[in-house]
Amino acid sequence: MNKTFLKILFYLIPAIVIVASVFIGSSTLFSKKEIFEYIFSGFQTSNQTLDSIIFNIRIPRILITFMIGGTLAMSGNSLQATLKNPLVCPYILGLSSGAAFGAALSLAYLTIPIQISAFVFGFIAVLLTYIISMKKNNVSTVTIILAGVVVSGIFTALLTIVQFFSDPFKLQSIVSWTMGNLHNSSWEKFKIAFIPILVGTTILYFYKWKLNAIALGDEEAKTSGINVKRDKLIILFAVTLATSSAVAISGVIGLFGLIIPHITRMLVGVDNRISMPFNFLFGGSFLLIIDDFSRSFFDFEMPIGVLTMLIGAPFFIYLMKKNNIGWE
Amino acid sequence: MGINKIISVDNLSFKYNNKAVFENVSINIFQNKLTFILGENGSGKSTFIKLLVGLLDVTEGNIFLKNKEIKNYSFIEKSKIIGLLKQSHKSVFPFNVVDVVLTGLTNKIKLFPTKKDYQLAYETLEKVGISYLSEKNYCELSGGEQQLVMITRLIAQDSEIFILDEPTAHLDLCFQSKLLSLLKSLLSEGKTIISVVHDPNLAFIYGDDFLFVDNKKVFRVENGTEPWNENFIKSIYKSSFKQIDYLGKKLIIPDFN
Amino acid sequence: MRNYKTYISIFFCFIFLCCNNESKKSKTNSDFIKVTDFRNKEIKINYPTKKVVCLIESALSGIYMLKAENNIVGISTNVYNGDVFEQYKLLDGRIKNKTIPTPGNWDFISIENIAALKPDLVIIWASQTEAIQSIENLGIPVYAIMINNTNDIFKEITDFGAIFNKKERADSLISFAKNEIESIKTTIKTSDKKKVYFVWSQGKLETSGKKSTVNEMIELACCENVCNLPDEHIVVNAEKIIEWNPDIILMWYSNQNKANEILNFEAWQNINAVKNKNVYQLPSTFYCDLWTLKFLIPVKMLAKWSYPQEFNSINIEEYKKEIIKKLYDKEI
Repeated sequence: MNKTFLKILFYLIPAIVIVASVFIGSSTLFSKKEIFEYIFSGFQTSNQTLDSIIFNIRIPRILITFMIGGTLAMSGNSLQATLKNPLVCPYILGLSSGAAFGAALSLAYLTIPIQISAFVFGFIAVLLTYIISMKKNNVSTVTIILAGVVVSGIFTALLTIVQFFSDPFKLQSIVSWTMGNLHNSSWEKFKIAFIPILVGTTILYFYKWKLNAIALGDEEAKTSGINVKRDKLIILFAVTLATSSAVAISGVIGLFGLIIPHITRMLVGVDNRISMPFNFLFGGSFLLIIDDFSRSFFDFEMPIGVLTMLIGAPFFIYLMKKNNIGWE
Repeated sequence: MGINKIISVDNLSFKYNNKAVFENVSINIFQNKLTFILGENGSGKSTFIKLLVGLLDVTEGNIFLKNKEIKNYSFIEKSKIIGLLKQSHKSVFPFNVVDVVLTGLTNKIKLFPTKKDYQLAYETLEKVGISYLSEKNYCELSGGEQQLVMITRLIAQDSEIFILDEPTAHLDLCFQSKLLSLLKSLLSEGKTIISVVHDPNLAFIYGDDFLFVDNKKVFRVENGTEPWNENFIKSIYKSSFKQIDYLGKKLIIPDFN
Repeated sequence: MRNYKTYISIFFCFIFLCCNNESKKSKTNSDFIKVTDFRNKEIKINYPTKKVVCLIESALSGIYMLKAENNIVGISTNVYNGDVFEQYKLLDGRIKNKTIPTPGNWDFISIENIAALKPDLVIIWASQTEAIQSIENLGIPVYAIMINNTNDIFKEITDFGAIFNKKERADSLISFAKNEIESIKTTIKTSDKKKVYFVWSQGKLETSGKKSTVNEMIELACCENVCNLPDEHIVVNAEKIIEWNPDIILMWYSNQNKANEILNFEAWQNINAVKNKNVYQLPSTFYCDLWTLKFLIPVKMLAKWSYPQEFNSINIEEYKKEIIKKLYDKEI
């Protein structure tokens, strides 16, 4: 297969998925032709309903979904390489539990917006994990994962306390937020999350080659000239910044950041120079396809986290059986 | 004698878990020599090496690389002076051999590797004689092949000092001789090589200089004595052995009586 | 050797005795009343019913309406902690001073505390099956409630009327409510029903479908619920609401002004309700409780907002006061 052809495909397929998604939805008020004309006329139309639905609801939702899928996948890949452990995902540092607690706090008691609360507590959780596991020379993988599990436990317990004192209505909201939700997507949410995610993923992109060196081993990386402690800190910061923002606007989409990097590795190999951007594009497209599925089949809104597991997991199992992933 | 000391250890003490591993060690290592480090199992040879490379911090005292304190080097500068080959290496991810070798070029690569960097990696693989392994999966190689790949990586790094921790451990005879001739050619290029080795014979036959690790100290044999002196070896290895004459040196064979 | 065996047998006998002791206590009274609760279970309650633990705030409201509040010995925690405290403290000095015990709230109830109050009856949601089982195992009768429509509210009031010997008042309140409903129907002459989209306060997309108390409220106001899905509580796709194009958006109570959020929401600017600024928020959980006879208040509010001309003469504040006075026989 021609390399340039593959490269074109690399970028073309996500673009096609994004555009196709604009045509998918449960509304029966307008035809595909009308949508086509709307897009290619530069979003001009006399049909105000069409304009509202497509521009103000569908497009932000599509962009947010793609952005989040890509962020989770890229962050998951970075963490797996940095911690040299293929079983980690961005949530293992306590991020998801912290964010869920922050969201619950906002839904139940505080007047600060739910996004800010979720973002701040997600960050605090990771900070706590890092502080607990930090040693003078380096942070060992096992220590940081253990610390992450403990911090997750703490915030989950706090979350349970908030749920305990909430009435059933609030409880329902808290639970459904925790399961992941894209149905409240809007331009406003996009604007909130866009910059921190851009900053985070750009930093990770620039580390795509160094990650190879770090993934080989901390001591090997150090002796060949990499300031491993500093770089790990930067990578952790970038992952937390991007993922916390993603979770803040869309809730917890479980295991996506764990599974997609594995699928990516099966498809394009372990070299992070290729797999990092691929993770973003593939993760974004995959989540978008799942959300398209949800939008076209159901009239009500199913939490996206449920669907990623029910659709993503069998796909992953199929790939696992078909390929030898290569782990010893 | 006009030989430069390239590494200088000054009054070094090192404790691990409150147990003293080294006490007041002062010793110099010389440029452009093949220096072997010998000692019993558990005497601290690998630890000494890690201190020299900066992977461990001294408890007291100082280490100087080219007359500059090791603490004052940035990671990149340090990697140009000194590089390490570990005893064994496992990778979680199945990288290609050429990508593994590329990681040795970290101190030369600005942001992402260029064609030139790739070329250098391939040339180094050619130099070591394992070009046929270039596109193979590192995890699927034998122990010896993996060791050769890591040596290639170290050569690509092109530091002034090469530190090797038991480089011949997993290698068969064929690879061992490949390795040793590689080391000889590196020496002729002006490199300094320091190696921990298990087998004193290998050291005595090929080495220029010998350091011994014993009883929390690192030292050379006394002036006027040969390193293969019977009493001296007995004091280091604390066991009985037989000696065979060979080209003016003595070879050591373990005695089981 | 022999000593510890005797010790253990005595210990087990003691445990056995304790377990059996509880169930013997309730057989001391002579008169009973039989009522069928919402589980379709017939329960036997001591009569006259003197001590009641009511763990549902809306049912508690019903008891106050029947003026049977002296029988109450235990209530749910949210009466003290929720917004409704403001009104309840005017209804009852004991609540104002927080002297009535609170054995729990929603799913978190202390069976021990309930038992300690020695009630003749416990009123609780039918969905709390585990708690119900624990209480019935103690020999205490449980009246379990599930409100899905106004007929359920009428049944609850009728049963309470029987239990607390307030049959006359119960009947008069129910016929009053039924008359009010009729009068709204006859006032609205047009057959062109307004379309209403109802929003719970947790988010713009949370609504109720065709089988819910919300739906009934909307229909009693001679309007139509745009949500055509059956569920009691459902989250819908944001595009759907644009498609449905409701004339009125009615929001559940919140302590923040959520109506403004909707009026400013870009994507919905072309919906009739937003264009014509027909977005309303119910003012209170107490006055607009759909699980009590006070449902008349939100129904009338919705009717007035939907058909302003027909209800021109009605003043919502005064109507509210009138209803409360009639139901509670007090001004709160």
